[in-house]
Amino acid sequence: MTLPGSVFSETYSQDQAYIRTRPQWLGLVALLTGLFLFPLFGNEGLTGILIVAGIMVISVVGLQITTGYSGQINLGQSAFMGVGAFICGALALHLDFPFWIAIPLGGVAAALFGSIFGIAAVRIKGFYMALTTIAAQYIFSFVMLKLPKEWFGQSAGLKLEPASFGDFSFDTDMRMYYLILVVAIIMVYGAWNLVRSKAGRALVAIRDNDNAAEIIGIDVTTYKMVAFLIGGFYAGIAGGLWAYYIRYIQVDQFTLFLSVWYVGMLIVGGMGSILGAIIGTFVIRILQEIVTHMGPQLADALPQVGGHIVFASMNMLLGAVIILFVIFEPRGLVHRWNIIKESFRIWPFPH
Amino acid sequence: MISFFTHIINGALTGLLYALVAMGFSIIYRSGKVFNFAQGEMVLVGAFLVWSFGMALELPLWLSVLLALGISMALGLLIERFVLRPLIGEELFALVMVTIGLLIFIRGAILVIWGAEIRFFPAIIPMQAIIIGPFVLDRALVYGAGLTIVIALLVSRFFNRTRMGLEMTAVAEDHQIALSLGLTVKRSIALSWVVSGVLSTLAAIIFLNGRGMSFMASDIGFAALPVALLAGLESIGGLVIAGLIVGVCIGVAAFFLDPIFQGGVATVFPFIIMIIILLIRPSGLFGWKTIDKV
Repeated sequence: MTLPGSVFSETYSQDQAYIRTRPQWLGLVALLTGLFLFPLFGNEGLTGILIVAGIMVISVVGLQITTGYSGQINLGQSAFMGVGAFICGALALHLDFPFWIAIPLGGVAAALFGSIFGIAAVRIKGFYMALTTIAAQYIFSFVMLKLPKEWFGQSAGLKLEPASFGDFSFDTDMRMYYLILVVAIIMVYGAWNLVRSKAGRALVAIRDNDNAAEIIGIDVTTYKMVAFLIGGFYAGIAGGLWAYYIRYIQVDQFTLFLSVWYVGMLIVGGMGSILGAIIGTFVIRILQEIVTHMGPQLADALPQVGGHIVFASMNMLLGAVIILFVIFEPRGLVHRWNIIKESFRIWPFPH
Repeated sequence: MISFFTHIINGALTGLLYALVAMGFSIIYRSGKVFNFAQGEMVLVGAFLVWSFGMALELPLWLSVLLALGISMALGLLIERFVLRPLIGEELFALVMVTIGLLIFIRGAILVIWGAEIRFFPAIIPMQAIIIGPFVLDRALVYGAGLTIVIALLVSRFFNRTRMGLEMTAVAEDHQIALSLGLTVKRSIALSWVVSGVLSTLAAIIFLNGRGMSFMASDIGFAALPVALLAGLESIGGLVIAGLIVGVCIGVAAFFLDPIFQGGVATVFPFIIMIIILLIRPSGLFGWKTIDKV
């Protein structure tokens, strides 16, 4: 990555810093202020969209660590999210845990569930791994529907009270927005730091060549588990937030289809970049909203499809986006963004 | 006791149907090292094509089957040419994701073209059951089992005896070496997609004969995965044995576990078998080599 002119690193920590210049600080502060002030000025619909996007960002950033950084294909992220949501919901509902304990515990449960697949990942690679996580998805919905009704409500699902903190209750979209914004910022900050830590470098080494990683002394078995543990934890936290936002959780909300969306977001944003995960999530969310809004016009144009038109066009959109990005832009939008940034920095010189 | 054996026999017949679907996977995997997650959707496209020609356009059934076979061959060729050929030599993640993208895209296209309501698939094979002693068997499944065995024998003979099949087997082993021997990798891969298209349409006819179908029927693609894995992905003849084993396991599991779990075991059990295979013997029973592991 090239830096703006006259910025030099004198120490290692300077070299590793993400934010190097005053304009970058200003940009970050402006972005955060914008995000915090948004619901005061923006309309309710947009706030709702941002809430869902925020939850998905957490989940996709987790997937980025499992898939993008350590190279373990995971098509079960939405099942992990479901485990988090259900555990969090059951703890809050049956044991009256407050949300700030229930959500992290849901995250831990999802992390443990995820690490089971980390054990599988020690033995198998590539699409065998993809198969295992697909199986996770089917087994998750089967188990959730068969466990006693008192636990997870089977097909009726669970209904939750709004998260509350003493007398203060997160019962409006705006309040949920701030809760999710704060959690998302913490999780993304954590991910950004994780990937440049020792563990993060170990994960990248395993992705690039696991035999070589083993030889230079990285404990591949442990770190593959860690990759799924962290990815699962992020998914679980996202699931817990989802549970408190929707306040009704049901198995059908956590489908294989959604897991494929998450991987699609990674591909669009760019593999192996936290920023990519965020960009991908927002771009795909915007596309989804556009398709949803165009639903009525599409239904008029294609009457034979009937009420399924939005679902059908979402499918075609997702499929086409994945295929086109894999073939034509395999490094995702973040790569394009970096190219644009660099061309601006070195302008007017070509190199 | 009778019902137990009925479960086993029906399981075995269903297992052979899965083997036919899995053959589509294995042929594509052999040639291009591509694991085609969209196999179930290809089955569904075949089914809807037969339905369109046979029921909507009211053409004679033999003609609509032939037309459907022709179009699914062309579809296989198109997918290979425009989606997978640009990715030859790419990393595995790209190959996995592109076929998942295909799966989702084709599912959407099916919904847009044919809609979501349940259609009745023409009864190409007569509907009356075959009754042997106390057992009542689905005629389509019995014929399908026979067809699967015949096709498996023919295809494995093709791969092991004919010049073209041996060339394809060589390509399957290693693209680089095959190229240096002067074999055309691209033609081999294209041919495998064509054959796979044909097999999926045949499987569709046996699977859906005389039944209601909707876009959900494509789940058979995932249910057939454990058969392909157990056989070892490269082996064609092994698919028959693997299909029988998996089918009987599912039948037995459904017989004993369905009363406990109030049904639904047969839909999830293939995935449990899959995880067990992946953990114990990922290269399957008749696969060529052990799977790359650390």
